[in-house]
Amino acid sequence: MQATKRHLFFAVTLIIALLLAACTPQSQTPAPTSAPAPTSAPAPTSAPAPTTAPTGGVVSATPGLDINMILLPKFLGIAVFDQAYEGAKEAHAELGNKGNLIFTGPTAENSVAGQIETLTNAATQGVKAVMLSNNAGDQIAAAAQAAQAAGVKVVTWDSPIPSAQGESVFVAQVDFNETGRVMADMALSILGPQGGEFAILSASPDAANQNAWIAAMKQVLTEPKYANLKLVDTVYGNDQSEESYNQALALVDKYPNLKLIMAPTTVGIAAAAKAMTDEGLCDKVKVSGLGLPSEMVSYTLSGCAPQFALWSFKDLGYLTYHLTYLLASGALQGVEGERFNAGRMGTYTIEKDPTRPNGLRVLMGPFTVYTAENVNQ
Amino acid sequence: MHTWRQRIRPEQIRELSLIGLIVIALLIFGWQIENFLSARTFNRITSSVAIVGMVAIGQTLVVLTRNIDLSVGSIVGFTAYFVGSQLAANPGLPPVMAVVLAVLTGGTLGLVNGLIVAYGRVPAIITTLGTLAIYRMLLINYANARTITVDSLPSWVVELSRQTLFAIGDFAVRPLFAITIVAVIGFQFVLAYTVFGRRLYAIGSNPEAARFAGLPAQRTVLAAFVLCGMLAGMAGFLFLARFGNITAVAGQGIELESVAAVVVGGVNTFGGSGTVLGALLGAFLIDLLGQGLLRWLGISEFWRDALLGLLILLAVASDSVILGWLRRVWAAPALRAEVSNEG
Repeated sequence: MQATKRHLFFAVTLIIALLLAACTPQSQTPAPTSAPAPTSAPAPTSAPAPTTAPTGGVVSATPGLDINMILLPKFLGIAVFDQAYEGAKEAHAELGNKGNLIFTGPTAENSVAGQIETLTNAATQGVKAVMLSNNAGDQIAAAAQAAQAAGVKVVTWDSPIPSAQGESVFVAQVDFNETGRVMADMALSILGPQGGEFAILSASPDAANQNAWIAAMKQVLTEPKYANLKLVDTVYGNDQSEESYNQALALVDKYPNLKLIMAPTTVGIAAAAKAMTDEGLCDKVKVSGLGLPSEMVSYTLSGCAPQFALWSFKDLGYLTYHLTYLLASGALQGVEGERFNAGRMGTYTIEKDPTRPNGLRVLMGPFTVYTAENVNQ
Repeated sequence: MHTWRQRIRPEQIRELSLIGLIVIALLIFGWQIENFLSARTFNRITSSVAIVGMVAIGQTLVVLTRNIDLSVGSIVGFTAYFVGSQLAANPGLPPVMAVVLAVLTGGTLGLVNGLIVAYGRVPAIITTLGTLAIYRMLLINYANARTITVDSLPSWVVELSRQTLFAIGDFAVRPLFAITIVAVIGFQFVLAYTVFGRRLYAIGSNPEAARFAGLPAQRTVLAAFVLCGMLAGMAGFLFLARFGNITAVAGQGIELESVAAVVVGGVNTFGGSGTVLGALLGAFLIDLLGQGLLRWLGISEFWRDALLGLLILLAVASDSVILGWLRRVWAAPALRAEVSNEG
């Protein structure tokens, strides 16, 4: 009897603790997570070529400092984030940082709360900078501001903080407006001028980068050239293979005239391509979006995913590390117009982010569009 | 005089009413949604029930003993990843060995659960809530942010989910679904006719009485958890074959789906009653409602989780109210007969 009571007490305490843990971080700053509307003119930044050495004012890093840094992906277990870590490790070794480079992240179902927690604890753990691929929308802004106030630099990469609050600089893999145009162009090239129905399979509804790309794509679709492309739905697979797979099949069931699934996420595009292949639907429904060549090669050669695009995540990690090291060491202030040297990648400039009113960014680029011709390289 | 009351038990009414509900749902969706009653819907539902159904068999065994296994989602994910990485490293591994590896891996994880619950006397809900997180963390460390991709797997695994064993018109029966059906039939017999099966019911109905009657309660509960782990391991192999791309988050949420299937399928959460067939029907009904509502109302994946929760609550509530009433109805004539005999 005594034992049963103790168990019951333990169970109740545990449940209450779980509920508390689940509730608290979510309630901070319930700001709108939708990405700000992109500027009306398509940004003329399609070919960022920052490799030419400028005349002066280029900041270079002092190697061998002692700066503990955290690389914080949306969550663990995704190949592209591991590639970003490879790039960051390369820069870490190159700069001879005596501090630690820590690659840590939440699990997928705990992504928002886990990211906020890591950021909140960074200052007390002696970390000087956090490199964040934000999956928490503006919910994370309060934690990021607190971290900055405690002396921790917060640099975002891959996915920014939409309001830019608490963020020093965002390292944009590509111009977000250009992502919209690249996706629209791939859709047009696959469907042809007669067009047809297509749908978007995104990651999570809170992912700022996904939302910004989708918004940019919708903007591009209003141009007359794309008049025959009809976007019928946007669904979310939460970057889980099985959810994305099921959502892709559900799209096909729901829209009998669907001709294309556009997945701007590497997990989503691979799952959708597998689903279409398994169900023998490749002749009817094509798959496109942002994908890893190593995961997509068979589908591209089979014609199921004739075109997709991506940038180098390794370079993104490398560039982000260089910028963060410079910011954390005080060599850069993080203001518009500063120029810096990023090792093997050349010189970059901190500029206003055209897709976010208060944000600063460093633009990496460019896109590579993969087809059957170059996917094997 | 043999009345129909003596031939059918109240528990079987549950399974019949499930079939009734499935038929009603099919009729409503077929009437409301264009092309719903098609081979494609059938293939869709059977493919996804294959995985949840396999896990639900094991969950049934555990729930029958008045326990629960919340770690099955992590076991499915761990096994899928582990077997996937072994197959990627040794493409020559024979199919039988891959299946054996999956079952052994799952069984080992189930053994840990079983030892803690049966011999450590920790409540199953706490134990498996803990191992749910621990097994997932093991997987994340083991996976080290790498993804198993379709390209790295031998072609026989990937093609398993595309092949058709036999087809009636366009209604294809796929290998994954066939494996699950065979397992359901097998365990239906084990539960109904073997000593081990009857012990599961006895222990769940009344653990104290079972102990006084000299049944090896601890060993039986341990065996239920090991079998549950093995079946989840098998489901992990099916998961690998179906989805091909396996990340560290694979299989998340299957614990909720399997508990829902078992409870909706009429397995009593207080142990002692229910069947594997019922759990399979429960899995069918849930997936049918999910598919139907997704296409009819366009509900999102989030609503699906809420739907699962609602179905669990409804099933548990109706279980105690309706089944209690049915048992009274069944018992009444027998009581009257006894009274009149004595009189």
